[in-house]
Amino acid sequence: MARFKRRRYSRPSAPVSSARRPFRLPGNPLLLLACLPVLIYLLLPTLIIVPMALTKGQLIQFPPIWISVHSFADYFDDRQWIDSTIISLKVAALAVCIACVAGSAAAIGLHGKQFPGKAVVIGIILTPMVIPFVVLGLGDYLFFVHMPFIGRWVEIGLAHSVLVTPYVFITVQAALSGLNPLLVRSARSLGAGNASVLYHVYWPAIRPGIVAGAIFAFAVSFDEVVIALFLQSPNATTLPVRMFTSIEYELTPKIAAAASLLLCFATLALLAQAFLTHRKLSQRRLPKAVQSLP
Amino acid sequence: MNLMSPSLNGSASAGAESRPAGRLLEVRGVWKAYTGDQYVVRDVTFTLRPGEFLTLLGPSGSGKTTTLMMVAGFEMPDRGEIRVDGKDVAWQPPERRNFGIVFQGYALFPQMSVLENVAFPLRMRRLPPSARRRKSLEMLEKVGLAEFRDRRPRELSGGQQQRVALARALVFEPDALLLDEPLGALDRKLREALQLEIKEIQRRIGISILYVTHDQDEAMMMSDNIAVMNEGRIVQIGSPRDVYLHPRIPFVAGFLGETNLLRCTDCGSDGSYARVRFQNGVMGRAQAPREGRRRRSPHDALVSIRPERIRFLTTGETPENVIDGVVIDCTFLGHHARYVVRALGQKLVVSSTDPHLAQHLRIGDAVRLGWACDEAQILAEDEDDGGERGR
Repeated sequence: MARFKRRRYSRPSAPVSSARRPFRLPGNPLLLLACLPVLIYLLLPTLIIVPMALTKGQLIQFPPIWISVHSFADYFDDRQWIDSTIISLKVAALAVCIACVAGSAAAIGLHGKQFPGKAVVIGIILTPMVIPFVVLGLGDYLFFVHMPFIGRWVEIGLAHSVLVTPYVFITVQAALSGLNPLLVRSARSLGAGNASVLYHVYWPAIRPGIVAGAIFAFAVSFDEVVIALFLQSPNATTLPVRMFTSIEYELTPKIAAAASLLLCFATLALLAQAFLTHRKLSQRRLPKAVQSLP
Repeated sequence: MNLMSPSLNGSASAGAESRPAGRLLEVRGVWKAYTGDQYVVRDVTFTLRPGEFLTLLGPSGSGKTTTLMMVAGFEMPDRGEIRVDGKDVAWQPPERRNFGIVFQGYALFPQMSVLENVAFPLRMRRLPPSARRRKSLEMLEKVGLAEFRDRRPRELSGGQQQRVALARALVFEPDALLLDEPLGALDRKLREALQLEIKEIQRRIGISILYVTHDQDEAMMMSDNIAVMNEGRIVQIGSPRDVYLHPRIPFVAGFLGETNLLRCTDCGSDGSYARVRFQNGVMGRAQAPREGRRRRSPHDALVSIRPERIRFLTTGETPENVIDGVVIDCTFLGHHARYVVRALGQKLVVSSTDPHLAQHLRIGDAVRLGWACDEAQILAEDEDDGGERGR
């Protein structure tokens, strides 16, 4: 029974059947042939970075001179690049923390309530996704100019938190859509105050949504360049900003090395999410198996 | 209250009646509007005594669920009092009141085991873990689910889930149990089985129950008393027998089962009955309305008589009310047959379980119908929907 411990709230009707089928190319081979160029076009500019990072030369170039990992070594030796990476991590961590609290709170607050203007409130929460980054960046710049006492990387983190809150909001809202609103009433009637309702009803339901939203939010904040460019200072330059500025005059393969690492990181995050989803689905299949036991 | 006494424990004592549990719940003059002055609950007043099973029965939109939610604390009354043992609780949030509630679909916590679900209210009341476990197990024992304590709710059948929900709502010794259409979404067979089960658990534990349903059969079968609601008001309250046989107004007569409404003139009282003159001049007697005002004009009275209370008369029988008619339709329905008879210038529905009649009565036959005067009930005027004659 211990393996049921981590079961989550979820829609009982979620599709679960596809996982065990043997792998088979979907659809018609002609269609696949037509799609292949599109897929290659989508992936090639991203994947081309990796061989470029493996060049022997001192300049970023294509085709690369095979084969060396010196650009990765340079990257790890360069104090400035490592500092930028750490700044980026700190910025993303701060933005994700704020987004998780604010996005979940907003989703819980709006859950199951109907009032005039609800659509407007949701619209406002989602605006940062559609406003041009340049506008946000300029606004943030003008805003933080008046607050010199805030650390510069904190400013970027705060600015990013606005940007990534909608991602958490959306995923938590989706997680909550599977939550029976009567559970809240039921818990309250049994004597649960607000804190207990939050812990016993909402928390188990939103946990997967928060994880998914946090992965998105982290990825968005970590590679966001426009706002970070507006708010940068010598000791608060995020990794994407350093890549962007250094490509203008340095053209070092360190850029490609950093980009390859980012790519690797993003792939891992996606795999992690896929793994979590898959595990949730296979857990959901268990009860039937249990019931069929004698 | 006597919830945990060992003599009640287990199924060995099934059927043994315990003394009434719960506290006196009084709802006094409660009003509720969601928007402006569109009241969905109007001046609702009733009392739930310890051990009583009271059903709020009405069509959808009659305000019964809103009333229950106000008792539970999820809605705030605009006016009126909700008292538990004389103490007004209308302004307390639900978690501070002490009612066990069972919702439609049961709303069990999916991530908790059966035992954890039942122990939840005790945990909220900060009982030590050992006492929680003991009391929850005792309660699971009472509803016959002790061996399922480690299952998740989704691994249980609908009936088992309901028993868990009941156990969870009973384990903290609530002042009353509130049930909001708990069987609404289930198919007929299962619903009937669960009705019996709820009734049985209530009998064993003695808790008072406030039950909301739109299903009149369910209400008749389970309740000690029924409060019929329409358009936000309680239009009649009484035992199932009383409400069925002596409906106060046309709405109640039409909502609970089938009835015949006969136009007549109210000619004043005659002992404990009232004399009425039907439209073709035939005189008869019927029960006077018990409460509520009579029709403004005595010429516009209505008498309600249930189809199964009207008899086909054989020669020589002379009950107080006799009319002549012609059979215009017969339908055989298994355990009874339903006849439509044209009499008094309208159609009367008569149902009979007599197999002899079913064989010999034909469409077009002339018949004499009769009923005893305490089977016919003069109706009072509907308060609001003056023109509407029931449903």
